[in-house]
Amino acid sequence: MKKKIYAFAVIGLGTANVWAHGFVGDRFFPPTIATDDPFATDELMLPSVSYYKSPAADGSPAVGTTDIGFEFDKEIFPKFALGVAGDFLALKPDGQPATSGFDNITLTAKYQLWQNDKHEAIISLGGEWEIGGSGASRVGADSASTFSPAIYFGKGLGDLPDVLKYARPVAITGSLAEDLPNSADPDSLEWGFALEYNLPYLQAQVKDVGLRGPLKNMIPVVEFAFDTPENRGGGETTGTINPGVLYETPYFQIGVEAIIPVNSGTGHQVGAVVQLQIFLDDICPKWFGHPIFGH
Amino acid sequence: MKKFLRQSLVVVLFIGFQVHARAHAFLDHAEPKVGSMVTNSPAELKVWFTQNLEPAFSTLEVDDAQGHPVDKKDAHLDEGNKMLFIVSLPPLPPGTYTVVWHAVSVDTHKTQGHFEFTIK
Repeated sequence: MKKKIYAFAVIGLGTANVWAHGFVGDRFFPPTIATDDPFATDELMLPSVSYYKSPAADGSPAVGTTDIGFEFDKEIFPKFALGVAGDFLALKPDGQPATSGFDNITLTAKYQLWQNDKHEAIISLGGEWEIGGSGASRVGADSASTFSPAIYFGKGLGDLPDVLKYARPVAITGSLAEDLPNSADPDSLEWGFALEYNLPYLQAQVKDVGLRGPLKNMIPVVEFAFDTPENRGGGETTGTINPGVLYETPYFQIGVEAIIPVNSGTGHQVGAVVQLQIFLDDICPKWFGHPIFGH
Repeated sequence: MKKFLRQSLVVVLFIGFQVHARAHAFLDHAEPKVGSMVTNSPAELKVWFTQNLEPAFSTLEVDDAQGHPVDKKDAHLDEGNKMLFIVSLPPLPPGTYTVVWHAVSVDTHKTQGHFEFTIK
């Protein structure tokens, strides 16, 4: 599964509180960057920019990659959404000419299977289909498709007792996916989770500690994203740790994270990502925020 | 590419700075404050939201520690500010009280929440 990162530097520092979709009970779960959230709702990430450098391997040089992408998801039936994602890659291999082109298109499906409002918990099922050959081979787009069934979860800690009330703004979301390429490439387990401390939740549900201005709309987050090859000499687990912050406005979210490789197999340099998430259901509630069929 | 990014920036800034009384309504602040301790029983509870509310579909309730409603059941929006939700309270004894709210904004988005305050 690829969680594409979308970025834009926007100076939209509204002072109003926040957000749109992704609710379980009192809890808002913000869209995360490196890992996928468990919600089957209308979403638009447009545009995005991230930069990271992959290490040299198997005789190939290290490659600096600028990734510009988008993702659009639409709720079709209640709690079931379909989506499409794409990326434009600009590659600069060390000592070689730069190249660019589109990566494979990815189609997604997700269904919210279960939730418990009182305990701020949710489980969803879904999957992705990376369409082989839909992108440019010069940027490494695979000619073979990859299917990735997945499970997603989310849990807020709003049900903690009073003695732990300052931990109630904490939430965790995560996903587990099995990448099954239709080729000789190794299968792999793609897994990760995000830990967040929701400052708007603190202010509104736990205690007004006097946060004002942009700070009261921020959600500090740390994401952990890993890929573990399972066969065919796929090698070691690789991954990143992404500390950052999400900033919420009534109509969009800006997320900024560092991309820190966990080992030499992942890379040696720290990258960065900025993500813009547009809340379609708040901008245009007539067309978004509800399923096409059913209610 | 630069032209595309510039155009995208214009679009995003346009979206960000639109002044609409729409979108989901969230609790901005309250009196008594969320999680606060007060010395006197307040005559009313005030909750300011981030968007105008639909009063017919929004609720505001104050419960005691046993979960029994103790407010005067007259929750209403302020005449001059449709983001301000108010409910009157009788004199309350010392203790911890829970405020439970359900908000429906004017564009029908629903949100909910609860918080506590304590009377010494």
